[in-house]
Amino acid sequence: MTPDKRDVLYGTLGLMVIKTLEALGPLHGYRIARRIEQISGNQLSLNQGTLYPALLKLEEMGWISSKWGTSESGRRVRIYALTRAGRKQLQNEEAQWQRAASIVERFLKISQNPA
Amino acid sequence: MTRLRAVLFRLRALFRSRQMDREIDEEITSHLAEATEEYVQQGLSPDEARRAAQRRFGGVTQTKEVYREVWSIRWLEDLALDVRHALRTLRKSPAFTTAAAATLATAIGTNTAMFSVLNAVLLRPLPYRSPEQLAMLWTEDPTQNLREGRSALWDVEQWRSHSQSVADMATFDSVSTVLTGADGAEQIAGASVSPNLLPLLGVRPVLGRSFSAEEAEQRQQLVLISHRFWQARFGGSHDAIGATLVLNGFPSRIVGILPADFQIANFDADVWGSHTTRRSVRGPQTWFVIARLHPGATFEQAQVEMSAVARRLNDPLPAAERNRGISVVPLSLYVVGPQSRLALWLLGGAVFFVFLIAAANVAGLSLARGTARTREMAVRAALGASAGRIARQLLTESVVLAIAGGLMGTLLALGGIRLIRAFGPGNLPRLNDVSLDLRVLGWALAVSLLAGILVGLAPAITAMRRDLRPSGEESGRSVSGGTSSRRIRRGLVVAEFALAIVLLVGAGLLVRSWWYVNNIDLGFTPERVLVMGVSTPTTFNDPAQRARLYHRVLEQIQAVPGVESAGITGDLFVSNPRERVLTIDRDDGTVSERLPFARDEVSPDLFRTLGTPLLRGRFFTIGDQPGTPPVAIINDAMARRSWPGQDPVGRRFMLGPRDSGGPWYAVVGVVADMRRQGPEREALPQIFVPLAQNPPPRNVDLFIRTSSEDPLAMAVALRAAARRIEKNAPIYGVAPLEQELGTYLTQRRFQTSLLTGFSVVALLMAAVGIYALIQYSVATRTRELGLRMAIGAQRGDIFRMMIGEGLTLSLASVALGLVGAWWLGRAGSSLLFGVTASDPLTFATVSLLLTAVAMAACYFPARRATTIDPIVALRLTS
Repeated sequence: MTPDKRDVLYGTLGLMVIKTLEALGPLHGYRIARRIEQISGNQLSLNQGTLYPALLKLEEMGWISSKWGTSESGRRVRIYALTRAGRKQLQNEEAQWQRAASIVERFLKISQNPA
Repeated sequence: MTRLRAVLFRLRALFRSRQMDREIDEEITSHLAEATEEYVQQGLSPDEARRAAQRRFGGVTQTKEVYREVWSIRWLEDLALDVRHALRTLRKSPAFTTAAAATLATAIGTNTAMFSVLNAVLLRPLPYRSPEQLAMLWTEDPTQNLREGRSALWDVEQWRSHSQSVADMATFDSVSTVLTGADGAEQIAGASVSPNLLPLLGVRPVLGRSFSAEEAEQRQQLVLISHRFWQARFGGSHDAIGATLVLNGFPSRIVGILPADFQIANFDADVWGSHTTRRSVRGPQTWFVIARLHPGATFEQAQVEMSAVARRLNDPLPAAERNRGISVVPLSLYVVGPQSRLALWLLGGAVFFVFLIAAANVAGLSLARGTARTREMAVRAALGASAGRIARQLLTESVVLAIAGGLMGTLLALGGIRLIRAFGPGNLPRLNDVSLDLRVLGWALAVSLLAGILVGLAPAITAMRRDLRPSGEESGRSVSGGTSSRRIRRGLVVAEFALAIVLLVGAGLLVRSWWYVNNIDLGFTPERVLVMGVSTPTTFNDPAQRARLYHRVLEQIQAVPGVESAGITGDLFVSNPRERVLTIDRDDGTVSERLPFARDEVSPDLFRTLGTPLLRGRFFTIGDQPGTPPVAIINDAMARRSWPGQDPVGRRFMLGPRDSGGPWYAVVGVVADMRRQGPEREALPQIFVPLAQNPPPRNVDLFIRTSSEDPLAMAVALRAAARRIEKNAPIYGVAPLEQELGTYLTQRRFQTSLLTGFSVVALLMAAVGIYALIQYSVATRTRELGLRMAIGAQRGDIFRMMIGEGLTLSLASVALGLVGAWWLGRAGSSLLFGVTASDPLTFATVSLLLTAVAMAACYFPARRATTIDPIVALRLTS
């Protein structure tokens, strides 16, 4: 089985999206994109367009919900919000991510000084 | 939950794809506008801002494409990926794949073939307009055990005029018909129908027209002919319309050709004439009645109404005759009676059991394989595949396998359908319509998918449950295979054997019934007896003339070398006789009563020819002539019913009521009961009178006992002998009596042989299942067994341990299976004959047989276990 690249991408991007929604409450697409860029210190240079398939995927999983509304500048935009399932998912993912990150970190240390 | 929501979301997206497109367009436009605005605020010119926003966003088209992919194509892609992978995996283990696909193909094939029978016989609507509104109407009288009795035309007119829910009623019956052509006379199948019959059924002639009510009223000699007759006699030519046939001496004009395979329920004929339904007198009760209900009316309503009509018509009748009723039987139920229906459903159920066993077997196999693939799964899990993804992969694999099996199975089913059409019971209606139509193909597909899911479920569940983190450890070190998979496999084997037991018990009961039916005392011995139908020419109108003709034919036939004796009667096999009044002389006076009985004119030697024993008195002799006092022979059933506890010989009776003035018959003999409605039905009261003293029928059956084991070999000589007496007397239906009798048993034979076949297959599959399980158990426990032997277990202990494992499983399944068999047996008990549904002999035999088979299947792997060399076994994993 070849690991699906998109899956991994959505996995991290998805985590960022739901974390953003948890922190700031309901937002529309452009705001989410900007927020992620700001948090990453503009280091993450992803095309903003990739956000939309990720949003759709998250909605499909039931972790976020969407409805049409108006932006601060008065445009008709789709506003995304975190659902209860999404909140729970976020907790799981956070824990998992930290575990994975620590493993990788340890792994890298070992590799640097072979026994 | 999440999964369900995802599916629903996708479905919605699928149907709203255009709206989704519009929405994403709008969303992207807003996004770009917001971004542009922000850049403008940062001081860029609008043009620059727009370009910057677009650069930041990336390809709009690509985004939309990816977006669309996410909600529509992705699952398809995944599926294609899974299928490709499944095919590769299956190709890598050809032994497993072949065994599993062949097992599934057998199961799916038999299932599909059986379903095609159910489909044609039970599910497909009858070939009439709105067949669900059609019903047969019968005269019945429960006090006389009269069920599904035919009716008189006058009665039918009364019913019709008094009913609201019935739109129309039509009548039909067979008519003895002699066709006179250039090369002599022949007996053909004729029918008489009321002129409204075809419109009622919604059937139109394929050529020409039907007859009108006026033409029937005027008794015009017009006929319709069957498609078959048209092809055979007219080569399908249009000239048939308007051609004339000489039927029973009268020229009749052909006005129309009926559609191919047209029949009314099971009733068929080649030449169809009409009769008028208007009657001033009641007339004989010989007509079949078919009715069409008004749309919306139910059979229950019609039944309630008909019961009321019957009560009203009974009122003026004498008290003894007020029990008549009318029963409304849906046509579909009449065409295939409850007995055949039950048998077919049970066979369908049986073949489904075989299917379940096969699925369980293959599931067991792939579980065993799953254990062997633990390492592969662990690697995948380590690479990031979720348990659900692995389970889905396994399911896809089994579904692909099952679809392959299903394709082969459908080919097998095609062959099976041919076999069934060739060898199925001829008297099972609509069997010729059995074919592989869309519904059957749909069934094959459904069954294949079900097989795939059933087979893949157990491995998928174990895959999901198994803790995937530990890597290759389990495959080598563990003492036995995964415990949960082992438990499932044992459960599967128990289920297989339990299902096999149910089938075996069913087959055993049917086989026992078959034995009883075949060994029942028929009251006659059919071996070496030939039957020939003889019809008198229309010129023989004087009964005495006919009696003389029959006498001379008998003399001539008895002179043929190889003939031991010969006799004549109207018809040996009878359907339900109607009830008639009989006046009987008894110890306690003379009584008149109604009862159903058969009355036949017979020649003196008939009983000797058939081998029917005389219980009292004497047979008829040549001395019983028109001038001498009328005599009769009755059967034992009649003696028991009408002269209980008395000797009937010497008593008198009269046909009809006491004041009818008919002649008194003296009983001169009592013969044994003959089962004239087939072996499975009790003998009816019967009265036999000599041909010479009574007007004999126009059509009779000749019975010839030959000295030859193959009586049919003498048919030519016998036919020639009969022709020498009267060349215009058509001879038809020449067949050995055993064969005639056989038609009563074809459905039973069909059921018995099919169920026996299914249960043998089931037993074999279950045996393979337990063999594989024990074999696998020995293989995976080599190290444990070696260890046991190293610390002192004897070879005998090891053998007993392995056999014990099989024995425990088979005892569990015997217990389960017997309960199931007992429970199902009661549902099918009406198919049994001579045995009860809980026949202890059958249950005991099947339990022993099954245990023996299970033990035999375990024997080889168990012996293999004893040959394990402890040293080698222990070194295996160190």
